[in-house]
Amino acid sequence: MRKGGAGSAPPFSMPHLVVENLTKIYERGKIRALSNVSFSVEKGEFLVLIGLSGSGKSTLLRCINRLVEPTSGRIFLNGVELTKLSPRAMRRMRRKIGMVFQQFNLVKRATVLQNVLAGRLGYNPTIPTLLGRFPKEDIRRAQVCLERVGLLDKMYVRADQLSGGQQQRVGIARALMQEPELLLADEPVSALDPATSHSVMQYIEQINKEDGVTVIASLHFLSLARRYGQRIIALKAGEKVFDGKPGEIDDRKFKEIYGEEAEEVEVR
Amino acid sequence: MKILRARLLSLTLDLFLWAYLLYSGFTLYYLAELWTPWRPEEKLVWPALSPWEWAVVIVGIVEVVLLTRSFGPSLGQRVLGVHLVGEGGARPTLAQSLAHFGFSHLELLLLGGGIWLNPQTPWHERCIGLRFEPLPPPESAVRRPPWYRTIYGLTALLLVAMTLALGWRLTEVDLQKLIRSASKSLRIWRGLIHPSFQYLVQPDPRIKLSFLDGLVQSLYMALLATVAGIIVAFPLSFAGARNIAARSSLGWLFYSLTRGFFNVFRAVESVFWASIFAIWVGFGPFAGAMALFIHTLAALGKLFSEQVEHIDPGPVEALTATGANLFQVLRYAVVPQVIPQFLAFSLYRWDINLRMATVVALVGGGGIGQLLFEYKDDLQWNLVGGVIILFMITVWIMDYVSGWVREKIV
Repeated sequence: MRKGGAGSAPPFSMPHLVVENLTKIYERGKIRALSNVSFSVEKGEFLVLIGLSGSGKSTLLRCINRLVEPTSGRIFLNGVELTKLSPRAMRRMRRKIGMVFQQFNLVKRATVLQNVLAGRLGYNPTIPTLLGRFPKEDIRRAQVCLERVGLLDKMYVRADQLSGGQQQRVGIARALMQEPELLLADEPVSALDPATSHSVMQYIEQINKEDGVTVIASLHFLSLARRYGQRIIALKAGEKVFDGKPGEIDDRKFKEIYGEEAEEVEVR
Repeated sequence: MKILRARLLSLTLDLFLWAYLLYSGFTLYYLAELWTPWRPEEKLVWPALSPWEWAVVIVGIVEVVLLTRSFGPSLGQRVLGVHLVGEGGARPTLAQSLAHFGFSHLELLLLGGGIWLNPQTPWHERCIGLRFEPLPPPESAVRRPPWYRTIYGLTALLLVAMTLALGWRLTEVDLQKLIRSASKSLRIWRGLIHPSFQYLVQPDPRIKLSFLDGLVQSLYMALLATVAGIIVAFPLSFAGARNIAARSSLGWLFYSLTRGFFNVFRAVESVFWASIFAIWVGFGPFAGAMALFIHTLAALGKLFSEQVEHIDPGPVEALTATGANLFQVLRYAVVPQVIPQFLAFSLYRWDINLRMATVVALVGGGGIGQLLFEYKDDLQWNLVGGVIILFMITVWIMDYVSGWVREKIV
């Protein structure tokens, strides 16, 4: 399973994902985005990250698949130390880590099918993909994934013709194409209206429940975090200030995370 | 520190400014043949002044600079966004400005002693009650005098006027000659409005080329140069894009080299390349095509790179996260975003190349331009007229078609 990985095999079963003393300092401006964050996630867990804008949620998610290079600390997935992997080995590892973005990050001028197929790039050799060729089974897989998010009829539509919620569902289908073990969702619904937010969150929840995919999602609204999260981690100025069950966040805790002036807003 | 920097930079700027104004003034004076202490055979030479004359010039410049800096913001101070103010941001009074002018000389003799110690309020400004401060931001409510009542505004006006006047003289603009000698060009105009298409299809026995032969040659020469330029510029444009290439220090080197290459090769005009290639591969359309190719490659490379730099980074991030490699990311996240602009630039470049194809003929590039220059040298204006009209029609059609296509794809 592990190819080119430098991680050491764990002596006994480890949690699915382990983050140890993760620190990220951005060189420009010397901003300390994350300091000494540690936690672990069990297989099949739905973890929600909360915190104000700029508290380090995005950076944390991007450190896990190393879109952002951590300054120090270690990250293990299935016991493999991601932070030690060569760029090539990390690329192979990323295939198992799906990611969904706040701005969807679709190629707007390409069709829905092309966008979804792009999730399969890591599994296919370079030359045929550069010529735009994908195996037949990948195209079938794309149809299955699009069907799951209810967009099979939009397969040949250009991505920019879709509504925000539909675009995010294409983003989810693209991540599904990777057959991920872990799904990272960076503010997946903050560009959407409340009703659409729930529909998108339910697709993510379904992937978590039915496929047993571990999910780490950052969310803006605590109400959404309470509704979908099995566990919540709160970040404040790059530090972990809470780690526990959604029910444990009371008024006092809330003010600690969001500041004294904050007022809880409900998203229904 | 910032104030000290602003002081020194603005002073340097003012000194250069007034030196330039003085120099251009002298040059204008000389060119008007009112005064000739300069070497007469050259136009712009270092003025041959005696040491004491130099001293007068330098002291004069320094005095003017100190004067403008004491009375309201000088152009240098304005550019760097600093000025002298009294208590509570008040404008300096006449007495204060005069005193500052006087004290400045002392400060200058001390080599700016006080400024080094206290850039904001050195001794000579403190005792007058002035301080050196950043200008209030434009959105603040402080009322500023109109530009034509400020030192910096008038200096800028003088600068523009002197530069334009000098440009006029150096270009030897002579409107009288333009009008008086209009009759000389009459022959040409007469030829042009009576164009001859004698050799439209049948080759000119002397040059062994017909108009259409030349036109077709030029068209294909431009086309080939454009296509070859696109093929090379396309892959290079990713190396020349900061957001793609310059991620590691090795990438930075690669990026800088590519961009440097584009800039250097673009700065040299096609005509110059044509004269090199005319010697290298001999006169003819191949030399012209090579010249156009080199210039196209560099120009398109730069334009393409800039487009790549302006893409939405989101898809790049998303596809990197799926485990795609660099080439796959370029193909699926970058290329779809830039293709319309690339096509538009390429078509535009073909337009340019078709026109340039005539010019490179001047130095042996072949094609329809060769006919144009041969007939011009033989003063056969009717034939020149014929070639020009044929060429104009072609360019019009090309312009129209490529404009239409560009509209469709962007």
